[in-house]
Amino acid sequence: MNGTTAFWYASRATGIVALLLLTVVFVLGLLVTRQGRLPGLPRFAVTSLHRNISLLAVAFVAVHVLTAVLDTYVSIPLASAVIPFASGYERFWLGLGAISLDLMLAMIVTSLLRGRLNRILWRAVHLLAYLSWPVALAHSIGSSRDLQHGWLLDLAVGCALVVLAAMIWRLAGAVRQLPRAARVAAMMTKHATTRSHNPRESAAR
Amino acid sequence: MTTAVNEPSATRHPHPTWPYAPNEAGHAQQAGHAQQAPQARPAPTLPRLLPTPQKPESLRAHLTRLGPVPYRSRSNRTDRTDRTDRTDRTDRTDRTDRTDRTDRSLIADIEAAGLTGRGGAAFPVHRKLAVVANARGRKVIVANGAESEPASHKDAVLLRLAPNLVLDGLHLAAEAIGAREAHLYLHSGPNPEILRALAERSAANLDRIDVTVTKAPPRFLAGQETALVNRLSGGPALPMFAPPRVSERGLAGAPTLVQNVETLAHLALIARYGPQWFRALGTGAEPGSMLATIYHAAARPEVVEAGIGTPLSTLLNKDDAAQAQALLVGGFHGTWLPMPHAAELTLDNKALSRHGAALGAGLLAALPADRCGLVEAARITRYLAAESAGQCGPCLNGLPRMAAALTDLARPHRPDRQTRADIERWAGLVTGRGACSHPDGTARFVKSALIVFAPELARHERGRCSATDPRPFLPLPHGMPTTEEDWT
Repeated sequence: MNGTTAFWYASRATGIVALLLLTVVFVLGLLVTRQGRLPGLPRFAVTSLHRNISLLAVAFVAVHVLTAVLDTYVSIPLASAVIPFASGYERFWLGLGAISLDLMLAMIVTSLLRGRLNRILWRAVHLLAYLSWPVALAHSIGSSRDLQHGWLLDLAVGCALVVLAAMIWRLAGAVRQLPRAARVAAMMTKHATTRSHNPRESAAR
Repeated sequence: MTTAVNEPSATRHPHPTWPYAPNEAGHAQQAGHAQQAPQARPAPTLPRLLPTPQKPESLRAHLTRLGPVPYRSRSNRTDRTDRTDRTDRTDRTDRTDRTDRTDRSLIADIEAAGLTGRGGAAFPVHRKLAVVANARGRKVIVANGAESEPASHKDAVLLRLAPNLVLDGLHLAAEAIGAREAHLYLHSGPNPEILRALAERSAANLDRIDVTVTKAPPRFLAGQETALVNRLSGGPALPMFAPPRVSERGLAGAPTLVQNVETLAHLALIARYGPQWFRALGTGAEPGSMLATIYHAAARPEVVEAGIGTPLSTLLNKDDAAQAQALLVGGFHGTWLPMPHAAELTLDNKALSRHGAALGAGLLAALPADRCGLVEAARITRYLAAESAGQCGPCLNGLPRMAAALTDLARPHRPDRQTRADIERWAGLVTGRGACSHPDGTARFVKSALIVFAPELARHERGRCSATDPRPFLPLPHGMPTTEEDWT
């Protein structure tokens, strides 16, 4: 490795780490929508984790893009990082990367301005995550020879399977979920009946 | 749709206007003064808001009793500019039939009067007025008559007997803040008296903006400020997280002033007679008078107007002192106080706050000694739990648990040793964790019930109950929400 290949290696490495982090962010996001918890963490911590890891992932994406641009072996104009299909090198696959990055930027900007936006707008933009992650995965596999075979391919397939499983879990929750207005009534019935059939209480009597 | 959650309440007075009965003791209502000829600056006596005799007042009778609506701008109908400070426009050569009040801003008068919101939170009115007045662009004003406290009837009585005073306040406040859109949000839709008042004012071309009347859904949270804005926007009456406060961004994003109807009625009187007149009643910190709904232990419930700071013993009758075991102060988000001591307090937040209580929506309910306080508290807690909007986890999960546990304690038997500790723990956990104060208010209600009815709790543990009358005491509406339409 010398000065000319350092950027190339850095770009590859940060790209792979960014893919892993974005997978974690995606799964945590699904966990937040189902108000799920992680062992030993309160619910708000899941939200914070989702938020913080997403910013960390974006930092890796930034390094990944910058090092790819700075690498002189192939010429990638800086503008092609955000303008899709503007790169001469791997026009299609780098274009997907730019699309994914643009969608991420939209989600970040609306999340930072969340207090000033209405919830519906924020939510609509945030739904772009369902598009952004698969596009990022396609970019990773398509533009990198590394990820097309061997253990890195296994890793990419693993990420896809994890995301698929999380999506199925999310949809199953959505199907089972009671409408908001009926939740309180269900809760009232649940607790009223558990109280009257409390085994400890029967033993005390 | 009706579930076992809300038992049919024993309404002792089935007529729609039943809550209102003339105050027989006459202590809070010195009827003699109001029967005098109309005067420019009436004596600062009671009743101020309600007409005497107590029957619905026409526009003509209203203007005869209290004088003309003191709009401060030069003309009621031609001034359509969007100026917020309309006092600038006062034409000093044309003051023949106006008092010296007109060259002062109404907001300054309200600040000097020290008027606080009468909807429950007792927030200083001038601060909300100023926030909306200083905002730019389109502004909205809402008179809140949702009165979703099932046992409070003061707003309904005011809207029936003095609808024009409320509308005066709505239009005067609209002028002061520069609002061009006015709403009236009412519990059961417009009553005939309001419709008549709106028609008479329209015929007299008295006001410069139209008032839109909207019916509030029969939900406990329907009158909450953000829920109200959601309902007026056409959605369900669900509370939202604040900030932004509705005074900054409310109906369709416009700065929105939401005031209780009684607050607006007081504002209309201050606009006429000034802050000094207003301060002739009440305490220095909490000036003026207020409407209170009083449930007596052995008499019909009534709505009375009393000066703030009035001893509770004068508002309650001697039967209450002899027959009541506890007093619920404020409303269903309020506090139970043990009875012989409660009667020694006064009707003001300063005195009540020392005992963890507040005036709230102005409810005083003296629970007779022949009822079980725990049964009554459990019944109301089940209602409050069922009225959770189901939006925030602590409220959705915590309140039904607390209600079920309190229901368990209301039964004469030896309960699980943990039950009482559980309730207190849950009450601590839900407090401060909602978009609105519903969990906080319910926790306050439950905690005070456990303290005040502790002797009854001990009796229940020995398998006994001191109640001889199983009938429910305070009224509750039927049914609980199960569909989204229940909130609209």
